[in-house]
Formats: sequence, C-alpha cells, structure tokens
Amino acid sequence: MPDDLTLLPDREDVIALDELMACSGLAHDEVVELVEFGALAIEQRGTAWTFHSRTLVLARRAARLRDDFGLNTPGMAVALAYLERIEGLERRLRELEACLPKGDAGQDAWIA
Amino acid sequence: MAKTTSGSASQVDDRVAVKYTDYYATLGVERDSSAEDIRKAYRRLARRYHPDISSEDDAEAKFKEVNEAYQVLSDPEQKEAYDQLGRHRSGEEFRPSGDWGGQVWQEGGLEDIDLADLLERLGQRAAGSPASGPRAGGRRRAGAPFAMRGQDYQATATISLEDAARGLELSLDLSVPETTADGGVRTVSRATKVRVPRGVVDGERLRVAGRGGPGYGEGPAGDLYIDIHLQQHPLFRAVGHDLYLEVPITPWEAVLGAEIELPTLDGRVRVAVKPGAKGGQKLRLAGKGLPRRGEGAGDLYGVLQLVTPTVISDKERELYRELAAASSFDPRAPFTPLPTHA
Repeated sequence: MPDDLTLLPDREDVIALDELMACSGLAHDEVVELVEFGALAIEQRGTAWTFHSRTLVLARRAARLRDDFGLNTPGMAVALAYLERIEGLERRLRELEACLPKGDAGQDAWIA
Repeated sequence: MAKTTSGSASQVDDRVAVKYTDYYATLGVERDSSAEDIRKAYRRLARRYHPDISSEDDAEAKFKEVNEAYQVLSDPEQKEAYDQLGRHRSGEEFRPSGDWGGQVWQEGGLEDIDLADLLERLGQRAAGSPASGPRAGGRRRAGAPFAMRGQDYQATATISLEDAARGLELSLDLSVPETTADGGVRTVSRATKVRVPRGVVDGERLRVAGRGGPGYGEGPAGDLYIDIHLQQHPLFRAVGHDLYLEVPITPWEAVLGAEIELPTLDGRVRVAVKPGAKGGQKLRLAGKGLPRRGEGAGDLYGVLQLVTPTVISDKERELYRELAAASSFDPRAPFTPLPTHA
C-alpha cells in the first residue's frame, strides 16, 4: 500500500466491541466489568455494544496499566477514575493559570 | 550505531559494534542483586515513570528504558547473555566476541539493531523459538498465536494554534521496524501524510486505523496514533477549545470604561469595557475560540489586566496628585477600624 496517501484519522466515530477489544488488548470480560464500573461508557446498548472512538483511549490506558502493574479490573477502574479526576483538576489549573498575567511569576512576593 | 550487512561470525565480529546499555544502572540495582530486588526496583521506577501516571516531561522515554532493562534482566537467558558481556560504560561501543557474538551474528539482518534486539534474539534461540517480528513495544506474550495483530505506531506532532483551528496536512516520518527476508529486523523510515481535521486540541490522541505495522499471519494491521501538542502562541493560551487572551488596560480605561480592539484568530473585533472594570475580569467572546469537530467553537476570554505606567510625565504626575486630593475612594476601608488587641 502506498504511504503517501493522505489519511484521515478517526473522528466522531463509533466502534464495535470487537474492535475495541482488538485495538486495546482488553478481554471481553474486562470490558464488561469496566462498563459495569462505569469506567467505559457504551454508546449504544442492546445486542451489539458500540463505543465512542474516544473510549478507545481509555481502554488502551486500562490495558497498559494492567500489563505494566498487574492491575485487576477493579484496580483498572479505580486508576481510570483517579486519572480522570487529575485531568479535570489539571484542566481547571490551566484555566486559572490562563487568567494570570504572563511572566509575572516571582513578582507577586513583593514585601515592603 | 554501526551498520553492516550480514555475514559469517568471524567477518562480522571485526565490523559490528553495538552500543552498550548498563541495564543495572538503569534500574539502580547492583549487578549481584536478586531477581526479587530487580523486580522491586522495576516496580518502583515503573510507578514513577509510567506515561499514564507520571507528570515528568521525559517519562515516556524513561519508562521505555526501564522496561527494556527489566525485559532483559528478568529473563534468565537474556540476563545470562548480558552478564557475559562484562562491564562497559553506557553508550560505549563494543564488539561481542566468541560464542556470544557468533550465536547472534550468524542470523543476519543486523542493520540498525540494538542491544535489546540482540538479547531478545538470543533468548528466543535459547528457548527454541524462531526469531519472529519486531518487539511489540513491550513484553511479548509467550505462546502468541499465529494470527497476531500488527504493532501500533505512535507519533507526536507539534502544531500551531492557527493550524489546529483550520486543520492541516501533516507529513510524518515514521521510524518503523521491518522484518527482512532472512528473519532479521531493521528500522526503516516511512513517510506518511495525515490530514488533521480542524478542531484538534492540545493533548489529543488521533487514531488512524490500520496504518500501524502489518499483522502477523491472518492478523489485522495495527493502528497509527498521533499525539497532538499545540505550540505556545504569543497571544493566546488554549485550554481545550477555549482561548484566553491577556488584555492590558489603563487605570482610566478601567474607571471610565472604553471601547477597545481585540485580536481573535479570525480578525480583530471591538468590545466595550464597562466603567468600573476590575483586573482579572473576563470579557467573553462567544464562539471565538477554537472550532469544535462538529459545529460551533469554544469561546475567547479576554482577561483584563490593569497596568500602571512606570514612566510618567510631570503633567501626568500633577494630574494624579490632583486626582488623589479630589478622590474620596478608599479601597482599604474594610481594614478600618483596625482590630485592637486587649
């Protein structure tokens, strides 16, 4: 296949359960448990589950944590929840930092 | 790293050099440490540098080094082969000799190979399995089935805020492993163009399905992942799809109000600063942030910063003094009366 094609990355796509499993390396039971814990969100329930393509990032992260630290599924769910909270706090921190004057660090500690 | 074509052991020994990596130093353990101590050291460093949990800048590279060291030192066959090399300085080029070298060199395909690849190949020989494809970016699972998904590739792209807003075509130069005809592995460069849609944000990971390494056997190809980083902009700071702009105003503009002109990503706009404006107050320009994927866009926040002139004319000083005398404004009124201590 030629490599100079202009490729379009996935955007707001939905992916099937099989694809989520294949691309993340998570097993079927692990995905089911992570959904039960609320760590992974289903786009569409019913006979064939589908997921938002964004969920793949979380699923891959869960699999990495499992492989590198030997986490079980509840461990993965807790780690994902904490990481989500940290990212939310970091975002809030960036918002607040964005409201501060640039390059003013160090000038605040002004003592008479 | 030295490059060579494959050949017999005696020929290659004279020409091939591999950079030595001190895996014990990487894990911070002594050479005579027990397997348990090596495992503990690995776990401690993995927790510190794991790219999913570390906030250190070079965490990903450090984690890769730590993982590679552990992969070798936790495998008895590879550890023994590594220990046979003796002590060298990290980064020192050395030429393995004797049985050690001969065992590996004869397999050929040594272009762009590193120490970990050599040791892994040696481990596979000792374990009686054939040398297979490239390392899959981590621990290889024992007894992998014939049909195996290809390796995922990862790239990082640093793009400007303007490019993120309008989308761009990225030219990526990927370094990818390739299995040679004789079963060796070499790193080759592969140019790929990717159309990045408008609306990407800092820290976003894009996936191009099926553009990673080819699958093994009947396995599907891996995916290509691109991490997006936004360059710092001289004016705007991006938080998700919202943009923040520092807006300096003078004391008299803050008091009297003013109509000022602000830059946005798509031209200048005039906005009104209401009388009595305070520093830190935000002017929200709806939809003037980064565009979103579907419809709409984030907002642009102009954050007012009250600035005072450091150099003033005699006339200005005189007017300030006049103002000070005429004004009854006391911002420290809440401080009075001062609390008294009995």
